[in-house]
Amino acid sequence: MIKNYFKTAWRNLVRNKVYSLINILGLSIGMAACILILLWVQNQLSHDRFHKNLDRIQVMNNRDINDGVKFAWSWTPNIMGPTLKKDYPEVADAVRYAEGNHFLFTVDEKKLVPSGAFADPAFLSVFTFPLLKGDARDALKEVNNIVLTEQLARSLFGSDDPIGKIVKIDSIDHFKVTGVLKNLPDNTAFDFSYLLPWSYKDKLGWTDSAWGNNGVHTYVMLKEGASKTAFDQKVNKITTNHLPGDPLYKSREVFTQPFKDQWLYSKQENGRYTGGRIDMVRMFTAIATLILIIACINFMNLSTARSGKRAKEVGVRKVVGAQKKGLIVQFIGESVLLSAIAFLLALIIVMISLPEFSTLVDQQLHLPFSSPLFWIYALVFILFSGVLAGSYPAFYLSAFNPVKVLKGFFKSSAVSVNPRKILVVIQFTVAVLLIISTFIVMQQIKHAQTRDNGYDARNLVFVHMNGAIEQYYSLIRNELISRGAAAAVTKSMSPVTERYSDSWNISWTGKTAEDKKVNFVRMASDADFVKTLGTKLAMGRDIDIYKYPGDSNAVLLNETAARMMHLRDPLTAVLKADGIEWRVVGVVKDFIYQSPYEKVQQLIVFGPRSRFNTLHIKLNPVNTTRQNLDIMAAIFKQFNPEYPFDYKFVDAEYARKFKEEQKTGTMAALFAGLTIFISCLGLFALSAYMAETRIKEVGVRKVLGASVFNITSLLSGSFLKLVIISCVVASPIAWFVMNNWLKNYEYRISIGWPVFAGTGLLVMIIALATISFQSVSAALANPVKALRSE
Amino acid sequence: MIKITNLEKIYRTEEVETVALNDLSFEVRDGEFVAVMGPSGCGKSTLLNILGLLDDPDAGSFLFNGVEVAKFNERKRADMRKKNIGFVFQSFNLIDELTVFENVELPLMYAGVKKSERKARVDEVLEKVQIMHRRNHFPQQLSGGQQQRVAVARAVVNKPKLILADEPTGNLDSSNGNEVMQMLTDLNEAGTTIVMVTHSEHDARYSHRIIRMLDGHTVTENILV
Repeated sequence: MIKNYFKTAWRNLVRNKVYSLINILGLSIGMAACILILLWVQNQLSHDRFHKNLDRIQVMNNRDINDGVKFAWSWTPNIMGPTLKKDYPEVADAVRYAEGNHFLFTVDEKKLVPSGAFADPAFLSVFTFPLLKGDARDALKEVNNIVLTEQLARSLFGSDDPIGKIVKIDSIDHFKVTGVLKNLPDNTAFDFSYLLPWSYKDKLGWTDSAWGNNGVHTYVMLKEGASKTAFDQKVNKITTNHLPGDPLYKSREVFTQPFKDQWLYSKQENGRYTGGRIDMVRMFTAIATLILIIACINFMNLSTARSGKRAKEVGVRKVVGAQKKGLIVQFIGESVLLSAIAFLLALIIVMISLPEFSTLVDQQLHLPFSSPLFWIYALVFILFSGVLAGSYPAFYLSAFNPVKVLKGFFKSSAVSVNPRKILVVIQFTVAVLLIISTFIVMQQIKHAQTRDNGYDARNLVFVHMNGAIEQYYSLIRNELISRGAAAAVTKSMSPVTERYSDSWNISWTGKTAEDKKVNFVRMASDADFVKTLGTKLAMGRDIDIYKYPGDSNAVLLNETAARMMHLRDPLTAVLKADGIEWRVVGVVKDFIYQSPYEKVQQLIVFGPRSRFNTLHIKLNPVNTTRQNLDIMAAIFKQFNPEYPFDYKFVDAEYARKFKEEQKTGTMAALFAGLTIFISCLGLFALSAYMAETRIKEVGVRKVLGASVFNITSLLSGSFLKLVIISCVVASPIAWFVMNNWLKNYEYRISIGWPVFAGTGLLVMIIALATISFQSVSAALANPVKALRSE
Repeated sequence: MIKITNLEKIYRTEEVETVALNDLSFEVRDGEFVAVMGPSGCGKSTLLNILGLLDDPDAGSFLFNGVEVAKFNERKRADMRKKNIGFVFQSFNLIDELTVFENVELPLMYAGVKKSERKARVDEVLEKVQIMHRRNHFPQQLSGGQQQRVAVARAVVNKPKLILADEPTGNLDSSNGNEVMQMLTDLNEAGTTIVMVTHSEHDARYSHRIIRMLDGHTVTENILV
């Protein structure tokens, strides 16, 4: 019997080629979109899930009140890790980890500046990245040990066995390779190509034992059976207890976040991690489901619309003994067959589009053909889609009365008109919803992009200070200006697009009890901060140690900081930080150094008695960029010959701040486009079929005097009405969803009516274009032909 | 074989009530060939649908081989149908996507007959209706007469006790019509009971008895043999 069902289904598909093609194409595009999204979702959900001790690993966090609001952060004191390991018996291991190393690696003639991290020796036992060579337990035991990734090892040593080989770091220290890690997978939050032991960080003097200085990530692995809740309660006041009597740390809390949640839950509300990437995962899972439903609706609509063609078969089968149950199985089986064909086509579409999609989502996605689990999921997916698409038509078709259908009394449109209209409205509601959302995301990105960032990022580059740059800074600065490569140069703590440091521990004249818990972002400059970055002075002057020798302890405030400090005359104010008194010499207008979607926080630019990590160079506008860069390269080669000249453009770095939102916007646009395409595909087939079934009516109307316009309006109008209803239904939903989304941003647009009107108009034009061909063709047909067939 | 007593069937819409069968009673004996005649709308087809267990009466009794079937549920009716009744329609009602062989094979599949036996029985019946040479053709590749022969083959392949024919020659020319009537006669002579609805006096004369209907009940019965 199954063979008989299969034959009937196959011959039906072949006989109705156009409708079958539309059905299969729509379903496969929907499935392909769904598979792409699910691959991304799976990638997100699998981040760092491969570590064997996953459930026991916790991320140490702080929570405190800043400017009246609770917030959390995962930077911890250097001393916390060893203290936890020593004093807390439930801790099996504690690991410190810090990325951002840019050491110069030298092996024979090869010189590289790879990015790496410092980690405690237990890192490789807590996090089970596959170690190809070496022993995880002692690979980072000695101060001169180094663990490389496979790729870096190959870059440094070619095909030679790297174990035991020596790498020279910064021309000072020699390290023995004690381990080779398999290249890090794409689905990990860690980003390093080598690991150096934490003891080397100690040796460099880059660590301290201050409980108030939070500069490292600390992970603990709890012992088997240890309770996270109990541990949280125990460590809650660890910082406060180590800083007794210090009012600054009275409200400081320490708590853990399960490591497995860190990737997905990074957004916090009132000091608790409540969302983050998980919101995107949920949103796109919902979009994937909706796209699949829309594609299935095409199948439902076409199957029920064309049910007249199958009515006789149902009647005959019933007459010769088929029961309703058997017919339901037959029709669902047909739909599963179609779903299987569509799935194969979808796999081809996915294979073709996966490289582009991987670039879009910035993850290396792949179809795991060799995994049996993939094929099990594929089977479930086919069955689910098949049953979803086929169940309504199956129940609908199998309920036909054989007497009526065999006598030719069957009228499909009369009995099925409402469900089909509802399904079309659902399709277009989703499409309109996605299009409105896409427009709003795009508007929000544009809104932030066009926000005045308060400085001039054009022709502004920064260079990390490595090797001999610090030593020869004055000479380099003079050369850059005198040889005409730079218009201005300033040393700073961090690139202007990032914050490296912040501090609660700032006091000033007139500071009140309420002001105590305010966190200030710290930057630094030796001179020409305003001139180089192109920020604007609100009052006072720039720091300039070369012009004003007393400026070694000068500071600049931004307007928000000056306001927050309640300074009546900021230029007479004196601050105290790091045990030094600092004089305010100027106030700069607020500029965006972090997220363009957030309000600008209070900032202090400290004078030359600071730590410097970065050079900002304003290129000379008289020369071409190439000329400036060539001169710069020569100067850096002269003073810092060991290191390759590496620089970044500030405007490119600033543009990266929009990456996540642009990714969301592009994905939303892509899937909105696909949704409207699939919906229109269904609408096209439905209108074609309606035109076919109403041919006699059209003939009669024409004979009675209807014009082509009358007929076209008649046939198109019924569909357009559905599209208008969809717009009306989708608009408030879109407003609600997107208004909530916008609440994530402090600097945001307000949703106006044009986006709804514009989308409605756009969708109606698309729908009209889709159905007008059929309507006009039907209206232009010779009525005599239609009526003669009667 | 068939005994109906005081059968009633009323079709209702919101505004109109149409009495299709009105206190109808008659009997069909085993091996009989009965023709039902009457003007359009007199209830002939409704009667045939009830006899074929495709529809159920609103009142009255319907005994099939002594079993009351008037209130059977869908499953029981389907079961009774596939074991005992064959249908021949005016418009043939072959499934376009199935070949001649597959169309005729269908009732045997629903009856759960094994594949090897199905093949033998379908071939045998196709030989009998002289359409064997077209066994792999699709219905739309056949003439009307050929299609009706396939429909007759499908009706008899399961060796039903009763064949219900609804204007079997209505869509055929006289030559093809006579052929089909001869086939039904042969089947009847071989022992199959036949109830045929027809407008044609010529076709009716092939039967043993003619029941004439008007407004849902019998008006006369003519015994021909």
